[in-house]
Amino acid sequence: MSSWLSLIIYLVAAPIVGGLLAGWDRRISARMQSRQGPPIFQPFYDVLKLVKKENVVVRRSQNYYIFFFLLLVIFTGGLFFAGADLLLVIFALTLAAIFFVLGAYKASSPYSFIGAERELIQMMAYEPMVLLTAIGMYMVTRSFAVGDIANHPTLLVAALPGVFLGFLYTLEIKFRKSPFDLSCSHHAHQELVRGITTEFSGRTLAMIEIAHWYENVFLLGWVYLFFGSMPGLGVAVALLVFVFVILVDNVFARLKWQAALKSAWLVTVVLGFGNILALAIFFPKPATPAAAKVQPVTPTQLAMPAVAANALNTVDAEPARRN
Amino acid sequence: MSSFSKSPWIIHYDASSCNGCDIEVLACLTPVFDVERLGVVNTGNPKHADIFLVTGAVNEQSKDVICNIYHQLPEPKVVVAVGICAASGGIFRECYNISGGVDSIIPVDVYVPGCAARPEAIIDGVVQALGVLEKKQAEMTTLANSLDKTQYLRAEKKDAPEILGLQKTAYQSEAEIYGDESLPALKQTLVELETEFARPEQVFLKAVVNGKIIGSVRGYSLDGTTHLSRLIVHPYFQGRGIGRRLLEEIEKSFSNVKRFEVFTGQKSERNLKQLHQLGFREFKTEPGTASITWVYLQKERK
Repeated sequence: MSSWLSLIIYLVAAPIVGGLLAGWDRRISARMQSRQGPPIFQPFYDVLKLVKKENVVVRRSQNYYIFFFLLLVIFTGGLFFAGADLLLVIFALTLAAIFFVLGAYKASSPYSFIGAERELIQMMAYEPMVLLTAIGMYMVTRSFAVGDIANHPTLLVAALPGVFLGFLYTLEIKFRKSPFDLSCSHHAHQELVRGITTEFSGRTLAMIEIAHWYENVFLLGWVYLFFGSMPGLGVAVALLVFVFVILVDNVFARLKWQAALKSAWLVTVVLGFGNILALAIFFPKPATPAAAKVQPVTPTQLAMPAVAANALNTVDAEPARRN
Repeated sequence: MSSFSKSPWIIHYDASSCNGCDIEVLACLTPVFDVERLGVVNTGNPKHADIFLVTGAVNEQSKDVICNIYHQLPEPKVVVAVGICAASGGIFRECYNISGGVDSIIPVDVYVPGCAARPEAIIDGVVQALGVLEKKQAEMTTLANSLDKTQYLRAEKKDAPEILGLQKTAYQSEAEIYGDESLPALKQTLVELETEFARPEQVFLKAVVNGKIIGSVRGYSLDGTTHLSRLIVHPYFQGRGIGRRLLEEIEKSFSNVKRFEVFTGQKSERNLKQLHQLGFREFKTEPGTASITWVYLQKERK
């Protein structure tokens, strides 16, 4: 599939898929609490209503920041699905989040201040792991391009189990789910009113919702990347991860921010960095993309651990590009 | 059925309730009644909410809070008084610290009786509130669509509270430009505004759509010069020629005056540009507050 086609599909389908996922999320959550839950289209009803509501602002410029937040989230996902550089995707994602935080700061209300500060702490918590994920993927595939990573013949998760688990941990933060719903919670916990989104209403709040839909689809796309060589499995795991995140959301209470930060960095060091260290020490010669393309993927290769397959691949490849 | 009736977001406030009604409100969220299946979300944030559920009678301490929350709810909004105390004051009606039901402070749309109100009754109240919400939404749309039927009338003293509210909304953009919340227009009190109305030479104009004031301007004549001030238009209706029309109308009401004078801040580029288009020219500047230098503009009529 050409990168342009997948880009257009992303731009059109992501809000629909994201909205349905959000509806599904609320329904599954309700079932986990033995309630019936809202209709699956509920997030769309909410956004349609918000668009019609009056837009109350403290400062008018706060809405421009949110507009750029939405724009940059779409840009991030667009880059990702167009197969661009993973590092650029991460930077765009960070920039988007920064605009969200700036919008909340601009509103100058104590609640949105606390929300914004907590959002920054959350970014501190997840950024290292997200970067390590990109590095881990590079170490296996020798490319930062999402297109190359997705088409890599080995199962990335086999070489990067620690990085995958670490990424799952950061997903809990990125989805703003318990135990990490510090900056703004989607449910009835009201200690901080609505944290970072407190001062946004009407159309601007709708923009934030839509940005979250785009973001969620992009994040699940990244989960898929770990299973790029087996598309069916990839989609299944991405959905499974989503259900897992909801389960965790319903099982755990909220953590304090100190605990969230410490645990996220601990996970990053132990699982993320440890995985990459092991990869660097034990398999210093990963497959070059050229060799990988020549080698047809056989069922036996899929069956054996991908790391081993990597090592095999390099045997008859040209001398691997080391450093 | 529009999206409004499918997604009612609620803010719940306990005015001075004994917590009986509050527990019943929260019971609506539990698996037995599960109002979320109707799309109801208990937001806890007035700026996200559509429906304001109040329990308990209003006392001196909760008065301001109720007003505050009510004004923070974006339009369209509906108020539901839950329980007999919220509806009328209940058994506390005659108490020294109770000012009565919620409707003694803010307009109430739906009353849910009961002590405590049953969850079924509360859900029924919310469903009725949805009908009101739909109606108000329709009214708002008509308002926006009937701008061409705007009437430009003389304002009277009884319009003062509405004009003052509008003034504070409209001047938010100016406060943002100067980073100063203490602009004179934002600090004005109702008493001060009513004194202005009492002055004989003062003319107040209002722009009215469907009975709602969306713009206003005032001016007074002194020594052959008309001083115009406080040209305000609701942010929602700005940029549609209402301000320009108000200026034209007020110039008409001072038919024998040759010279008009207005002033604005030095950084209010939009105001300056529009005044230029209407024929006003700068003639002096004067230091105002710490952040503002006033720019005076004049216009001579032939």
